Amino acid sequence: MHGRVKVKSSAQQEEEKRKEREKKLKIYVAARDACFSKRKEGVWDDEALQLTQQLLSSNPDFATLWNYRREILMHLETVKDEDEVQKIYETELSFTESCLKMNPKSYGSWHHRGWVSARLPRPDWARELSLCDRCLSLDDRNFHCWDYRRMVVKMSGVPVDQELAFTDRLIGSNFSNYSSWHYRSTLLPLLHPGSPEPPSPCCEPPQSSPPPSPQTHSHRVCEEQLLKEYELVQNAFFTDPNDQSAWFYYRWLLGRAEREEMISCVYVSRDEERVAVVFSRPVNAQSVGLLLVLDGQPQRVEWRSVHPRFKHSPVWICDLPPGTINDISNEHNLTVHWTEKHTHRDCALYTGRNESWCRDTATDQELFRSELSVEKTSVLQSELQSVKQLQELEPLNKWCLLTIILLMRALDPLGYEKETLAHFQTLKEVDSVRAAYYSDLCSKFMIENTILKMEYAEVRVFSISDKNLTTLCHLDQLLLVTHINLSSNQLQRLPPQFAMLQCLEVLEADNNSIENLEGVYHLPRLEEVLLKNNKISTLADLQPLASCPKLKRLDLRGNPITQTTNVESELAELLPSVTDLLL
Amino acid sequence: MGTQLKDVIIKPDAPSTLLLDKHADYIAAYGSKKDDYEYTLSEYLRMSGIYWGLTVMDLMDQLPRMNQQEITDFIKACQHECGGISASIGHDPHLLYTLSAVQILCLYESLDAIDVDKVVEYVKGLQQEDGSFAGDKWGEIDTRFSFCAVATLALLGKMDMINVDKAVEFVLSCMNFDGGFGCRPGSESHAGQIYCCTGFLSLTGQLHQLNADLLGWWLCERQLPSGGLNGRPEKLPDVCYSWWVLASLKIIGRIHWIDKAKLRMFILACQDEETGGFADRPGDMVDPFHTLFGVAGLSLLGDERVKAVNPVLCMPEDVLQRIGLQPDLLS
Ligand SMILES: [Zn+2]
Repeated sequence: MHGRVKVKSSAQQEEEKRKEREKKLKIYVAARDACFSKRKEGVWDDEALQLTQQLLSSNPDFATLWNYRREILMHLETVKDEDEVQKIYETELSFTESCLKMNPKSYGSWHHRGWVSARLPRPDWARELSLCDRCLSLDDRNFHCWDYRRMVVKMSGVPVDQELAFTDRLIGSNFSNYSSWHYRSTLLPLLHPGSPEPPSPCCEPPQSSPPPSPQTHSHRVCEEQLLKEYELVQNAFFTDPNDQSAWFYYRWLLGRAEREEMISCVYVSRDEERVAVVFSRPVNAQSVGLLLVLDGQPQRVEWRSVHPRFKHSPVWICDLPPGTINDISNEHNLTVHWTEKHTHRDCALYTGRNESWCRDTATDQELFRSELSVEKTSVLQSELQSVKQLQELEPLNKWCLLTIILLMRALDPLGYEKETLAHFQTLKEVDSVRAAYYSDLCSKFMIENTILKMEYAEVRVFSISDKNLTTLCHLDQLLLVTHINLSSNQLQRLPPQFAMLQCLEVLEADNNSIENLEGVYHLPRLEEVLLKNNKISTLADLQPLASCPKLKRLDLRGNPITQTTNVESELAELLPSVTDLLL
Repeated sequence: MGTQLKDVIIKPDAPSTLLLDKHADYIAAYGSKKDDYEYTLSEYLRMSGIYWGLTVMDLMDQLPRMNQQEITDFIKACQHECGGISASIGHDPHLLYTLSAVQILCLYESLDAIDVDKVVEYVKGLQQEDGSFAGDKWGEIDTRFSFCAVATLALLGKMDMINVDKAVEFVLSCMNFDGGFGCRPGSESHAGQIYCCTGFLSLTGQLHQLNADLLGWWLCERQLPSGGLNGRPEKLPDVCYSWWVLASLKIIGRIHWIDKAKLRMFILACQDEETGGFADRPGDMVDPFHTLFGVAGLSLLGDERVKAVNPVLCMPEDVLQRIGLQPDLLS
């Protein structure tokens, strides 16, 4: 029951209502039972149509009665000639129309109308389209009607540009119409498809296409049209800066397509005789047909994700057969083939080297920036200027603030870092119910910036202390990092994804609120873990560390666990490799 | 033409504590007014109605107050030759009610009351070439039915009986620009549908296919100043949407993106202090549907007076532990 206000009534009114309901119940039950018994007897006559019509008019969600009607109609099809059938179905359309007038959100009525339309000997799709127009003019958010419209459009081949013009009209008369913006997002990529990225040198184009959805490449919009859309959206949010529809749409326009499926990194370690592979998105390496070739010889290896929690992961590892690459005077050539996607990546391990890798970096791929071509980014610059103008008029408008942040990131994530942080601060104040969302988003952007800085500096140290981090992400980008500094943030856990840092030697995470170390799991080179002033309270919290064979130094000062009895001896038993324990 | 924010105002005297006893009495009495006009009108969804009532009773640890024998016999009588189960006697079978029936029988540990193999055949038979599921033989396609199909099979431990890859492909083809999902490819995002699709992806082990940050943003933007959540932009808050949004956020590991204390206040304000039960909004008429989703929402928010609820199947966690079913959640 939706939207039925509870009203107080007197005892006398109650009694009258009760009597009225009793009467209605009798009529209803009689009609229902008559329908059921007729159907049981296999009667498909006019009276049955009458009875079901009577019941469905007041209760269109009674699905079984629609089914009975369809049985009757299908029977009539076999005994009447085409003109009669046409007439019967046209009457049926009038009936569903009257049902829809009374209850425009009934699944049953809409489905039945679609069923009838599809069976009509001479369908009149133009009439159906105008029914949709009328219905949407009464409620432009009725998703049943929108869906029916899409069916009609498909059945009758209405051109995409005509439908786009329809959304132009609706948006023009009322910008605040999420349904229309949504419809646009499905139409534009059909009318103005974005050109696929040129395949990177080591990858052949993928053979199978991903399922179509606006998230994937095949459903992005070409640059020229994107620029026009920016203008339309700007009109919308200048007209009504508090209407969320246009802002949601704008964020989509500013977004990036999902990355092509590829192997973005292959890493090999001589000491550990181990290979790690990073994919551009989570996969299940055990089932995607991964082939490892070492010096021309296919190898039989077992792929495992970095943590048992992940059946799909961007990072997978395998051990090479013992003795295959451990002689430092030998050079080796390694290729990982992703047979399903017809792509591969090579990696050479030279004489005298202990490890090697081959990869596309976040900077190569401009992962964290706009997708526009260089000459068109000036458009973003002017977009930023106008949104900033709006912000001057509406300094506390959260949509405006968030959009400024997104534009700044699309343009120059590092250059605008300071301003971005200030805007996040304001956002958390003006939209405090979503403060945790903004904190996590800000953490993500700070991590992206730190990845960029690290890669420009060509180092393997990832340092992001004192940045109010509340969450960790992009850890697949940190496979090669040997030293991470997360000190003085607000982290509560090192999640399973943390196990992607396969080269990690030193972990600094003092002064957080960490109570869970699930992701410090099977890190083969980890030697030092600094966790001063966190919330580690039980031995069980430290259990994952026992899977890191080289752990020598552990700082737990200022954690609740240090207050428990026998902690030192229990730790010695749990972590026998640790020689330097600070409590 | 500025938009006015649609929301409700919670009155200062609105209920602010959980009235468990009243709700249990309300549900226990609900099934006894079988001669009521409104009750009769809702016969077409009776099986789901029973599932809502029993689940909320179990969450409140009051399941023994319901008539197990009567209900199991009723379900038995609602299974058809094709294997499907109908909302009530005399009605046609449908995936919606097949799932509700299986959920009820899981609560009661009495799946043997029905022919399980036939249920599996029925579900399997409704899968279409493109991977989607029809709700019944009349062919309505909806991602809700994809969820019903895999939830039914997951509870029966028979997921491998359908083409899971194809089913996943279809659901993913319904993903939208905002990261959400609608009824069919091209349909607008809607919190109820998002719940079905995230639940579906959880049960099929495919949550990594979501754009969780984008979807999570859309979902947390459903929270209005009253604390309640709506199901789509520019709509009023509602207890049932509060559940669908909240459960979806839980599934994608982002439940902390909304203000839990404010949502709790809103849900509590939707209680009827006189009759027991929850309404969609403060001051409206109560019903078992919103009563379940009110209590289940409070459970997800961590209320210790109700049992823990599973966000994917909207069933008590202890029941799922008994069956050995632990759907994935993103961390
Ligand atoms: Zn509701």
